[in-house]
Amino acid sequence: MESSILESIGVEIIGVMSPVSICMFLVVLLVYSLSPSNPFSSPSVPIRTAANLVYLETPSDSATQKLEGSLLNALVFVILIAVVTFLLVVLYYYNFTNFLKNYMRFSAFFVLATMGGSIFLSIIQHFSIPVDSITCFLLLFNFTVVGVLSVFSGGIPIILRQAYMVSLGIIVATWFTKLPEWTTWALLVALAVYDLVAVLAPGGPLKLLVELASSRDDELPALVYEARPVVSRSRGSNLGLLVGGVSDSGSVELQAVNESENHRPTTNEGESFPLVSHSRERHSFSSESSEHSTVVVSCDRVQNREPEIVVDEEMSPLVEMMGLGNEREQQTRRDNVEVRGGGGGSDRGIKLGLGDFVFYSVLVGRAAMYDLMTVYACYLAIISGLGCTLILLSVCHRALPALPISIALGVVFYFLTRLLMEPFVVGTATNLMMF
Amino acid sequence: MTIAAGIGYALLALGPSLSLFVSVISKKPFLILTVLSSTLLWLISLIVLSGLWRGFLPLNSTTWWPYGLLLFTSIAFQEGLRLLFWRVYRRLEDLLDAFADKVSKPRLFMTDKMQISLAGGLGHGVAHAVFFCLSLLTPAFGPATFFVDRCSQIPFFLVSAIIALAFVTIHTFSMVIAFNGYAEGNKMDQLFVPVVHLAAGLVTLVNFASGGCIVSIPLLYFIAILTLIYCGKMVWRRLTEHQSTQGNS
Repeated sequence: MESSILESIGVEIIGVMSPVSICMFLVVLLVYSLSPSNPFSSPSVPIRTAANLVYLETPSDSATQKLEGSLLNALVFVILIAVVTFLLVVLYYYNFTNFLKNYMRFSAFFVLATMGGSIFLSIIQHFSIPVDSITCFLLLFNFTVVGVLSVFSGGIPIILRQAYMVSLGIIVATWFTKLPEWTTWALLVALAVYDLVAVLAPGGPLKLLVELASSRDDELPALVYEARPVVSRSRGSNLGLLVGGVSDSGSVELQAVNESENHRPTTNEGESFPLVSHSRERHSFSSESSEHSTVVVSCDRVQNREPEIVVDEEMSPLVEMMGLGNEREQQTRRDNVEVRGGGGGSDRGIKLGLGDFVFYSVLVGRAAMYDLMTVYACYLAIISGLGCTLILLSVCHRALPALPISIALGVVFYFLTRLLMEPFVVGTATNLMMF
Repeated sequence: MTIAAGIGYALLALGPSLSLFVSVISKKPFLILTVLSSTLLWLISLIVLSGLWRGFLPLNSTTWWPYGLLLFTSIAFQEGLRLLFWRVYRRLEDLLDAFADKVSKPRLFMTDKMQISLAGGLGHGVAHAVFFCLSLLTPAFGPATFFVDRCSQIPFFLVSAIIALAFVTIHTFSMVIAFNGYAEGNKMDQLFVPVVHLAAGLVTLVNFASGGCIVSIPLLYFIAILTLIYCGKMVWRRLTEHQSTQGNS
């Protein structure tokens, strides 16, 4: 029996959604399991980071004070990020690529070693795991070194790289959840707005960066999650070079590249700014020629040792359908897609920046401090926002910010759930009324 | 130990749907998307409903009729939403078929359509279990448990997990029945679903009486099993019909 199209539609969307889900799930778990220990330790030492330079929130302040303070904090943070991004653009413009890469490696090392280390320490303390310091140090060191190697070097299996991207996201997000409540919300909203401006407005730093990178046909010097298919999923594949393929029709390459994590050692806080960018390389194979299975072996620019097998799956069709549902539109779109040679150093699959991972998880983690119900609501909202962004991405063919839709939905759902739904559900469920 | 209890409650409510998800849904990305969107739809319906009822909360917990009214409006609203879901699905099905033609793949099989409806139903069921049982489970991970006055024999978490399991079953399979009924234009199937949903909702009203949960839970499971059998028979009928028509042609 021939396989139905159900198995091939939406693979790419799931490929992006599943790591995001894993990241959020682990952050929630961390926040949940570590929070009982916090009431004793953390309130006395509020952490001072770049995100609350101006105003240090204390629970006793009045609402207006908190609001003003958190808005100021968010403003300062966004300005900082904007400055750093412009700096990045300037450095990239003058071809300091190696410097940037090394800086990224350094910051990855720092994040994994210090912030990750302190999280591991608190896990060890909380569950009282019997580990001696030397073993712990060795393990941490190995973990960190492999992580740093996997960020920009070749020869590392993509799955490991993806795993490290997710764990970087988890670590930074867990740190961000330690920010006070009002500041977190203001920060999230401000970042979503900043993301929107930076990616879409003419002259926005992220837009410049992405255009620069695509004009040079180069890799962005940033920490980016690549949702490339890791293994051939189709039947009849023999490990190596051949993939019994899924046919391929006008599958559009969308790259949502995201921006880096920018670490500031002095403040002991990694700030990452999200950006999603542009479809650098679009590939399409006309649907006429697509009866046969297509095997694309991408000669990756990172020159992996093992040949990377990339199966093209249909993602855009679903997207087209859901987005427009319009035959004519589909046709024109297909015509518009540029066909560039399949050979060049292109990578395939959607890319999502680490910043998006981080801030999605921060939202969910903040929701986890209130109740489980808000966690589920926020998770669903964020995932559906991500889905909408991906659909828009295939419609618009350009760099899109991944934060605004998701964060807006997430925040709205959080407050709706908290204010409206919780009394309703608790009221009915504790009377054992259900429907 | 308490963590074990909490996980146990969660698995009691969601175990069957988890295995359904792993065995059927997770292999097909499109079905995962269907589950997610139907869960979101249910969540939105819950938020809208709670927005409508927010002004009247908290309800007087000694009289039962406001709760009856609440259940009735909620179920009516959700059944209306099911119709909407069907409309959307209908358009999606056409698009999927058009797309399948374009890439010279077979059109949707009947089993595919059933799987989509199953995924839609599973989304509804999971959303129910998550919001009515799982989200209240947080205290269950702690060192104590909680009893409701009216059902003092069983811990509240256990009762809600058991009830949630019944509702997951009802929601999951009634979606299959409903979509089939709409597709075939079968009035019987179309009516069966709202009636079952309403009956299940009203049975939980029995919980209002002191010790009522002893009566209502078996009744609820009777309804769930009825739905299951009805769905099974219907699917079997469709499959055999399908095979015989295929054999003839």
